[in-house]
Amino acid sequence: MARGKRIAITGISSPWASDLARRLERDPAVEFIAGIDTEPPAADLERTEFIEADIRSPVLSRLLPSTRADTLVHCAFLWYPAPGKPDRALHDINVIGALQLLTACERTETLEALVVRGSAAIYGCEGAAPLFFREEMARRYPLKTRFQRDVGELENYFDNYARRHSDVTCCMLRYQPEIGPDLDAPLVRFLSLPAVPTQLGFDPRLQFVHASDATGALEAAVHNPVRGAVNVAPSGSISLSHILRLARKPSIPIPHPLFGPALAQLGRRLGVGGAYSDGVRLLRYGRGVDNTRLRSEVGFEPAFDAAAAVRDFVTKHHGRRLVRVPGPGDIANVVGSS
Amino acid sequence: MEAREATGTDGGAPAPEAIADFLRRLRTGVEEGLDPLNAAERAATGLPSSLRSSVERMARRMRGDYHEDEWGFDEEFAEAAFPLFEFLYDNWWRVAATGVENVPAHGRAMLVANHAGSLFPFDASMMTLAIMKEHPLPRWPRFMVLDWAFVLPFLSAFMRRVGGVPANPDNAAGLLESDQVVMVFPEGVRGTGKPFSERYRLQRFGRGGFVEVALRTGSPIVPVAVVGSEEIYPKLAESRVLARLIGAPFVPITPTFPALGPLGLVPLPSKWRIEFCEPIDLSEHPADAAEDRALVFEISELVRETIQEKLYENLVKRGSAFL
Repeated sequence: MARGKRIAITGISSPWASDLARRLERDPAVEFIAGIDTEPPAADLERTEFIEADIRSPVLSRLLPSTRADTLVHCAFLWYPAPGKPDRALHDINVIGALQLLTACERTETLEALVVRGSAAIYGCEGAAPLFFREEMARRYPLKTRFQRDVGELENYFDNYARRHSDVTCCMLRYQPEIGPDLDAPLVRFLSLPAVPTQLGFDPRLQFVHASDATGALEAAVHNPVRGAVNVAPSGSISLSHILRLARKPSIPIPHPLFGPALAQLGRRLGVGGAYSDGVRLLRYGRGVDNTRLRSEVGFEPAFDAAAAVRDFVTKHHGRRLVRVPGPGDIANVVGSS
Repeated sequence: MEAREATGTDGGAPAPEAIADFLRRLRTGVEEGLDPLNAAERAATGLPSSLRSSVERMARRMRGDYHEDEWGFDEEFAEAAFPLFEFLYDNWWRVAATGVENVPAHGRAMLVANHAGSLFPFDASMMTLAIMKEHPLPRWPRFMVLDWAFVLPFLSAFMRRVGGVPANPDNAAGLLESDQVVMVFPEGVRGTGKPFSERYRLQRFGRGGFVEVALRTGSPIVPVAVVGSEEIYPKLAESRVLARLIGAPFVPITPTFPALGPLGLVPLPSKWRIEFCEPIDLSEHPADAAEDRALVFEISELVRETIQEKLYENLVKRGSAFL
């Protein structure tokens, strides 16, 4: 029992993986941390060993066993383009990368647990959907976007692996989008626009995981991996109109058939790439997931509920207001001057 | 100051000077560099109390300082929409509600009612009004809405804010587990879409899914009979072409719609009666009784017969449909 945990993390250059590594480094029970990625981690990691490798290449099958890791955290599943990972490579990284990674896992005999940072996009965004999806409700609706199909394939591969390797605990975390004062993600950039485009007549219910809770949930799953899927989301939900009022942002309502093309244009500036169609559906119908399993089985209690996560983001995020909001003062000016 | 005090009483139109004074203060506030919302709140001190509270409330809402529950229900919004529905309840449809005290004052309960009103079913809203106005301990009930409403702009956002959720067993069970009163309409589109000639004849109650949910969550069922909803938009025929074109479950043709255009959306002023029946307690059954098909059908049939019987009873009590 003297031996500490040996952990390998893929996609170490991503902010959430770096955050996780930073927390694990402080944990004396963790003996060794390896970070695998094509780009070096930007963060000030001290004892994480960086292994430069492309997750899509077969070289992984030699590298991973040599780390003698007992826990593998797969953080290289990408939602949007990142430095060195352009939009057109996403599908390859997400799907082929997962396949290569699992092949490497087959060869790693020391492996005991596999934790995957997946996405709640598997549930889809539907108008008439259950307001809180539980884990067993995946695939009620056909997968409509490329990103959703990628998530579907990822889950298929890991389900297959889990079935064949009952000695390895496979934990699939289904994340709702993240929000946080220091996080730079397309949806955060979207909410930081001086005026936020919305879809006329639609007011989706949303859940944003606070960045600290997102890392906390990942860390909790590393220490206590449970079999199967686990939703990672705050408790409760918040509507887009409420978010915008808390952020004191004016909205630009666009008739919903035109919102897609508008977001496609905007998407390039926001760095969302081809995944803007997921954004269109999310910002039309919203999505809520149930976090009971995360709280009771993984044993992680999110510190922020849906409203608190947004409030924290709004108060700490010093976005400049580029467009002045017309308020009652303008009316007073008009009346007063006449 | 005295003059302002005099206008400061509730009711009656506010003096124009008070409003001009408000706008003047607002402008000085904004010129002093105050946030428009803060300026409005400060300037409102000189207004009559009723106006002042609405300015303050508006400023608070604009700031996002209000509560929405996890299902998207916004109580302040529902309260704001209340007067319009109150007019329909009191003056337009002259609703007579009986047995409201059968709705439990605390804890979960499922209200099961007949469903009618082809173009826009108002039965859920009138049942809500009956509970809010006549129950000794009023509380906002939640209701199941046809899925199609939730893909439409405006309607989807409105329904969610006043307590509607897409009709499916998961949502019903979730709401009941958080101890809400939930209104379900097991007839669904079969009820709203039936022709006028079949009015007040209950349709099939689905596959009894509502009973399964009630058994699983241990909720009592309160059968509710609504009379009057059938006459508001009498469906004479339907347009299949139009329905397929817009993806609607059906598009009714009523004596006034679409012949009179938007005027056809005004519901006819029928006379309504709503009767809340004795609750059916299901707590004696274990939660796994939901698997028992025979029991589910038995309870479903019991609820259906109760409602049908009360419908006929109230039709007789009501007499003429419009006068």
